[in-house]
Amino acid sequence: MTSPESGGERRTFTPDFLTELFRNPLDPGYADAAARKARGEGPAGALKRTLAGITALTLAALGFLLAIAYQQTVADAPEATKARDTLIEQVQKRRSETDGLQARADQLGDDVSQLREAELGGAAVARLRDLEAQTGLAPVRGSGARVTIGDGPTPINPVTGNRSTEARVRDSDLQLAANALWAAGAEAIAVNGQRLTATSTIRQAGEAILVDFQPVTTPYTLEAIGPGDLAEAFHDGYAGKFFRELVSRYGMSFEAKSAKGMTLDAATELKLRVTVVATPPPASGSPSPGSGSSEPTSSPSKGGR
Amino acid sequence: MIAVLALVAGVVLGIVLHPTVPPALQPYLPIAVVAALDAVSGGVRAKLDGIFDDKQFVVSFIANVVVAALIVYLGDQLGVGGQLSTGVVVVLGVRIFGNVAAIRRHLFRA
Repeated sequence: MTSPESGGERRTFTPDFLTELFRNPLDPGYADAAARKARGEGPAGALKRTLAGITALTLAALGFLLAIAYQQTVADAPEATKARDTLIEQVQKRRSETDGLQARADQLGDDVSQLREAELGGAAVARLRDLEAQTGLAPVRGSGARVTIGDGPTPINPVTGNRSTEARVRDSDLQLAANALWAAGAEAIAVNGQRLTATSTIRQAGEAILVDFQPVTTPYTLEAIGPGDLAEAFHDGYAGKFFRELVSRYGMSFEAKSAKGMTLDAATELKLRVTVVATPPPASGSPSPGSGSSEPTSSPSKGGR
Repeated sequence: MIAVLALVAGVVLGIVLHPTVPPALQPYLPIAVVAALDAVSGGVRAKLDGIFDDKQFVVSFIANVVVAALIVYLGDQLGVGGQLSTGVVVVLGVRIFGNVAAIRRHLFRA
């Protein structure tokens, strides 16, 4: 395309490509073509018309390109948002489904207990109720202790940019508190409203703590129904010492107070499907002599580790 | 005049047909557009300079788009696709800018 004889003095190739680019952005081919035309060497007649047609076609292709590029960009942009919206929608739908199913389960549970009351005699029902209250299957009401544990400050390290997590409450802390409450004679415990049963789990999943797979967040409130001196027993026991140490060392918050008139909801589900009597029951036939039985069963709160 | 009509026809065609771009070609679309804009700005400037040439325009348009896509493809294969895309965009951007500045001088005498 470049004719070496045409304008040889103008077509000096500068070694610096960028300088040339800035100085003369127009394709040099146009100047060459113009020079050819000036010398009468350019296309003429039918060829010229054909070339004009090809130019029109090229421009049409260009418009086409612009149109599809625009459409593509418009279609691409919300792709990420769309995916997120769909996920959020799914989560909300599933959540409402879960709520509906839970409501139905509660209603069916009520039906079952009503039928049971109607079928069984008063003494059997009373015994069943006691057992349910002890195992966490029925809501209970009473006085006891309210223990509140909260995260300490979690400053961001200015060098690494990582958040310090050592002042966070860990699952083991909650396990220890729950076990100490059982040991101090608690008959029913709920963590942030989640009633603990014999098969409850308190586990860490990343930064969240899950109680029976339901996330709980700081501050963690352990409500326990038990003897009147439960709060003092907890506060003066090994757990109280442990948490006071945490307070002084990491700035976590800790409080154990007596509370009255607490209502603990029933546990959502008892995952215990099959039970086998480990030892022959005593002659009296009473399988659970009071609150003492629930004390050792709290150890499964470490379950799943 | 014909050029503008052809351009509009192309846009209308693109909207009406609404073709789906194959996923393999999608990364090259933006680069192809930039290359095409470079060819167009060069063509318009040449027109205003009075040295427009059909053959030169068509060849520069096709060559620009193909070469730009090729460079990006090569970069993708070598693992430097992003950097090469940036290089293509910088070079073509400079040319577009210079040509548009020349067009501006033609149109506004400033």
